Amino acid sequence: MTAHSDARGDTQWPRWEVFKQDTEGSPHRAVGSVHAADAEHALLMARSVYARRPAAVSLWVAPSESVYARTAEQLQEGTVVADAPATTEPARRYLAFRKTSHRRAMTFVDFAGEVSAAGPDAAVAAARRAFPEPPALAWWVVPAAAVTASPEAEAEAWFEPAKGKTYKQQAEYGTLAAGRRRKGQTR
Amino acid sequence: MAAERAGVVEDPARLEAFEARIERGEKIEPGDWMPEAYRRQLVRIISQHAHSEIVGMLPEGAWITRAPSLRRKLILIAKVQDEAGHGQYLYHAAETLGVDRGELIAALLEGRAKYSSVFNYPTLTWADVGMIGWLVDGAAIRNQLMLAQCSYGPYSRAMVRICAEETFHHKQGKEMVLTYAAGTPSQRAMAQDALERWWWPSLMMLGPHDSDSPNTPQLARWRVKTKTNDEVRQEFVDEHVPELLDAGLSVPDSDLHVDRASGHWVHGAIDWDEFWAVVRGNGPVNAERLAARRKAHEDGRWVREALAAYAARAAAATP
Repeated sequence: MTAHSDARGDTQWPRWEVFKQDTEGSPHRAVGSVHAADAEHALLMARSVYARRPAAVSLWVAPSESVYARTAEQLQEGTVVADAPATTEPARRYLAFRKTSHRRAMTFVDFAGEVSAAGPDAAVAAARRAFPEPPALAWWVVPAAAVTASPEAEAEAWFEPAKGKTYKQQAEYGTLAAGRRRKGQTR
Repeated sequence: MAAERAGVVEDPARLEAFEARIERGEKIEPGDWMPEAYRRQLVRIISQHAHSEIVGMLPEGAWITRAPSLRRKLILIAKVQDEAGHGQYLYHAAETLGVDRGELIAALLEGRAKYSSVFNYPTLTWADVGMIGWLVDGAAIRNQLMLAQCSYGPYSRAMVRICAEETFHHKQGKEMVLTYAAGTPSQRAMAQDALERWWWPSLMMLGPHDSDSPNTPQLARWRVKTKTNDEVRQEFVDEHVPELLDAGLSVPDSDLHVDRASGHWVHGAIDWDEFWAVVRGNGPVNAERLAARRKAHEDGRWVREALAAYAARAAAATP
C-alpha cells in the first residue's frame, strides 16, 4: 500500500476510505475516498474534501484495500463461507459498518461496532450475528489496526474553523428576490 | 444499441432481477450484479461529470485575485474549492465501478474525455462570476437534483452532497446579479452583458434535445436519469426567466414566451451547431482550458513525487 508510478510515469497515491463523525454520539459514516501518500496525509485530504463545512468532530481513514465489502445480494448468493475462516490466522479486531436503508443519503455504511474474527469472511459473519437488526443491505469490515483517526486532542483546531465560514452556507443568503435584498448586501 | 456495441449478452434472469430491484426503488451498490452497459454508461457519465467540476474551477478561478471586496473573494475561493471537492466525490464514485482515477485524468489531459460545454466560454468581466453562479450553477443543480435519484448508490450520494453545497453557489451568484441589476447604470449594463453571453450556453449545457439523445431511453429505464434533458431544461427556464425579468434584465431570446395552455416558458431555437462545435473541441477557449489543466498537472508533479518519497521513507523506517 504505497504510491506507485503508472504507465505514463505519473505518481499515483493509494486510495483511502474516509469515515466522518458529525456529532459526538453519532456513528462514523463512510463518505467517500481520497488519494494520499500515507495515513496522516489521507486525514488532511479527507478534511479538505469532506469536512469543508460543519458538522464534523472526528475522521477515520483506512486503506481502500483493507476494506472487505459484501452486499446483501452477494451474501444471499452464498459467496461467503459463514463461520468458516479459510485460514488459520489468529482472531483480530475488525470494525464493522453497515447500510440499512435505500433512502436518499449522502453517506454509505455506518459504524455498527467491533467484532473479533479470524479473517474478513468470519468478521462479516460475526457482524451479522452481533448486529442483526435492522437487516443490512451492505457490510464493510475493516481491521481495526488499519484505521487511523484524526487526533482527538486537536479536534477543535481541525473542525471548529469551518463553523465560522458562514458565507459558504446557503442559509446565509436567505430568500433572494429582486427588490427584497437584505440590508448589508449591497457590496 | 449500447449492449450490442459491447458485444455482451446479459443473462436474462439476472437482467430481470436487476431491473426488478430498480423498479422497487432499491439502490445498486458496488459488488452487486449489474449489466455491462449500465456500468459503462455510469463510468462515461460520472467521469465526464467529474472532469466538468475540475475544469469548472478555471473560468471563475481566474477572477479570485480581482474580486471587488474581501467578502466576494472569500466566497469565490470557497466556491472554487467546492468544485475541486466535487470533482473528488465524483472520481470516487467512478472508482467504485472499477476504473482508475489516473486513467480518467489522463484521458482528460490528453483531450480524449468530454466535460461540460459551458466551461469553454471565456469569463470577460466580474459580473460573469455572478451570472455563472446564478445560471450555470442553477442549471447544474436542476440536473443534479434529478441525478440524486439515480439508482447507483455512489453516484446518488455524491449528487446529494453536491446539491447541498452547490445551493450556496447558486445563491451567491443570484445575490450578486440582483445587486448589480439594481445598481448604477454601468453595473446594470455589466449584468445585462453577462446575461447575454451566458444565457444560451446555460441552456445548451443541459444537453441535446431528447430526439438527439440516443442513450436516454436506456438510462431512464435503469433510473440513471429520471428526467430527460428537455424536461430538466424546462424546469431551469421556468425557474430562472421570471426571476431574471423581475430583476429588470432582458433575456436575449426574442421568441421567449409563456405557453398559455401549459403555463411553461417556451424558449426559441437553440443553436446546436454551436453546441456541437464546442463539444468537439472548437469552442472559444477549449484549447486554453486544457492547456491550463495540463500545466496544473505538470506543476503538481513534484508534489506527488515528494509526498510519495516521504511516505516511502517513513514506511521503511517503521518496522
